[in-house]
Amino acid sequence: MPIGDMLLRSVDDSQINTVFPNTFKEYEKWDKEKDELPPEEVFKSLFEELAYGEKVQVGRALTRMNYSKSGWKSLIKKTSRAIKKAVKKNEFPDSYKDFLITTNENWADPTFWYAMGQMLNNQTPIYYYNAIDMTYDQDQNVVRQEENRRVYVQTWIKTFKVSVYVTFFCLILGFPVAHLLANLPLRYSNLLMIFVLLPFWTSLLVRTTAWIVMLQQQGVINGVLVWMGILNDDGRLSMVYNETGTLIAMTQILLPFMILPLYSVMRVIPKSHMRAAQNLGAKPAMAFWKVYLPQTIPGMSAGGLLVFVLAIGYFITPELVGGKDGKLIGSWIAYHLKTTLNWGLCAALGAILLGVMLVFYWLYNKIVGIDNIKLG
Amino acid sequence: MSKLIKVFLIASFAVASFSAKAVTVASWGGAYTESQQKAYADTYTDPSSIQFENYNGGLGEVRAQVESGSVTWDLVDVLPSDAITGCDEGLFEDISSEIAELSTPGPDGETMLEDMENNGLEYHSGWDCCVPQIFWTYVVFFDPDAFPGDKPSSMADFFDVEKFPGKRGIHTWATGIVEKAMVADGVKPTAVPTVLEKQTGALDRAFAKLDTIKDHIVFWSSGSKPLELVKSGEVVMAIAYNGRVGAANLAEGENFEYIWEGQVLDQEYLCLMSGAPNRDAAIDFMMHASTPEAQAEQAKYITYGPMRASGIPIIQNNEPWGPGGVEIMPHMPNTPERLKVSIVSDPQWWSDNGAEINERYSAWMGN
Repeated sequence: MPIGDMLLRSVDDSQINTVFPNTFKEYEKWDKEKDELPPEEVFKSLFEELAYGEKVQVGRALTRMNYSKSGWKSLIKKTSRAIKKAVKKNEFPDSYKDFLITTNENWADPTFWYAMGQMLNNQTPIYYYNAIDMTYDQDQNVVRQEENRRVYVQTWIKTFKVSVYVTFFCLILGFPVAHLLANLPLRYSNLLMIFVLLPFWTSLLVRTTAWIVMLQQQGVINGVLVWMGILNDDGRLSMVYNETGTLIAMTQILLPFMILPLYSVMRVIPKSHMRAAQNLGAKPAMAFWKVYLPQTIPGMSAGGLLVFVLAIGYFITPELVGGKDGKLIGSWIAYHLKTTLNWGLCAALGAILLGVMLVFYWLYNKIVGIDNIKLG
Repeated sequence: MSKLIKVFLIASFAVASFSAKAVTVASWGGAYTESQQKAYADTYTDPSSIQFENYNGGLGEVRAQVESGSVTWDLVDVLPSDAITGCDEGLFEDISSEIAELSTPGPDGETMLEDMENNGLEYHSGWDCCVPQIFWTYVVFFDPDAFPGDKPSSMADFFDVEKFPGKRGIHTWATGIVEKAMVADGVKPTAVPTVLEKQTGALDRAFAKLDTIKDHIVFWSSGSKPLELVKSGEVVMAIAYNGRVGAANLAEGENFEYIWEGQVLDQEYLCLMSGAPNRDAAIDFMMHASTPEAQAEQAKYITYGPMRASGIPIIQNNEPWGPGGVEIMPHMPNTPERLKVSIVSDPQWWSDNGAEINERYSAWMGN
């Protein structure tokens, strides 16, 4: 249900059509080749629909209109105030066009009218276009967004890059730890397990902040390196408020999600397999590669998928330690959800994220086989 | 046995009716909500009838509650642009007539709205659904020990990395920064909103100015960060919420200095949810929380300024106003002389253009 609702929202544009039905109907008759501005009938129906429209409905519509072009909000608000005043005094203009343009000169700006063209239908793909830095031009052709507003494609790339790296680092770091956990005698491995689980149970924010303390330029690691004479005071490394910081912190935070599935799979691999392989003449490295590693694949896949899925939607940690590189796609979803109320765009971003996950899942199923996944 | 059930029933009714009466106020949490608790709830006729709840700002939850029809909050503490959008969309209830009738006038008989206009504010549609709370501000601050010689004193200095070398702490969204860049570029602070709205290419100008310090910026995204950055020496100056700087000075013995010139004032409003479960009690509390006295009271606990102009003299004439005999006026952002060099952020312009500018700002950060 919530997923269906999200998918519907990502293409829904019906609210605005209930507010300006006549304006839109007249608008479609406008011949853009011939006239610079829409005909008088469009102005007239807009006037009427603003004069008698329900305030709340208009309010919601103008939040929507503002996505298509910045400035709609105050334009409509100022205009409606003037219109309501005129209607109250029973003064109806001879030319609605002139009335609106004298109220606010932006009505003579054709770009506002072109932007209106995006909203005529009950369904719209515009949110998906916006989510990949595309938009409509005046003739409703799909074009790239103005250069200085292109943020989403680069954010998508960054998000995937970070997720892949984090998954990779978690695997590299998690594998030996899980192996150790699975093969040590119980009393040592229990102790070690606590070291894995303790951070897992610690608050996310505490761990993030701890990393900032460790990594910042005046922080612990830089301090020690300078003290040992490895770095001089001007050459302090910047390891936080950039992508390095994001990768380090996210890897540490997501590491348990890799270790635990790996551990539970490794624990049940009989030790005799390795011994048997070596007995039959394989060198230890060969035995590991040919016999042990293949048996851990279900754990690696489970851990990898888990870490990747979590990483791709992460946003609090990257925002705190990532500095200018810290805005991943999750941050934008949160921003539009809370601040601009552009839920259509949120839904589109979410749907793309979901789609990408399904593609990965499908690929995974093709390559490894989904039955192969194991959490223990 | 039946007695026990009766007692239980009565008890549960008592609890139910009690909790039904409580007005729920959603606010930002932390020291800010604590100051609201002390200044507004504790001074109210029935302090126990006010309950604060934390939320993360924005209208997301508000819209979700109203659209789904299960409204649990009565009042929400919001930024002005959210007050405008919320009121336009009907997420907040229009109570302009109640406000006109019930709000406490200023000492010279001016209405509450006139009192706000005396503070440099202009009417916007948020005023129909909400009552004023406080001014907070994006202010630049520094540790004077970091500057043994000349100390920075203006926005031009903040953007001058040759005269004052070192990194600057700046937040990861555009509000407040665009305005400061305009001031550094030579626009008179009070004229900035008009220039941004009317002049074509004003934004390009702001971004060009930002380019000049781009390599000297550490970006922060949570309010406590700029304080840590300046304390640890990671940056020499930073933009911060003035309440955080005030708290560091008053409660932690720091000695930070402000650059008031080019500060960007933003506001907080208390708005009534549409379909609030305790509507009338909530309105009564709104009227209490928007008196000049209550607003001045809040400045005791956090250094944000009363949004009603008549709140300022109350503080001024009763110094030391703060607990433990500390003077509050040095930390108030909206004294008449500071307002002359400040920008009052234009919420209508931001709600028109905020999304576009923030996308541009992010693209700028990322390149």
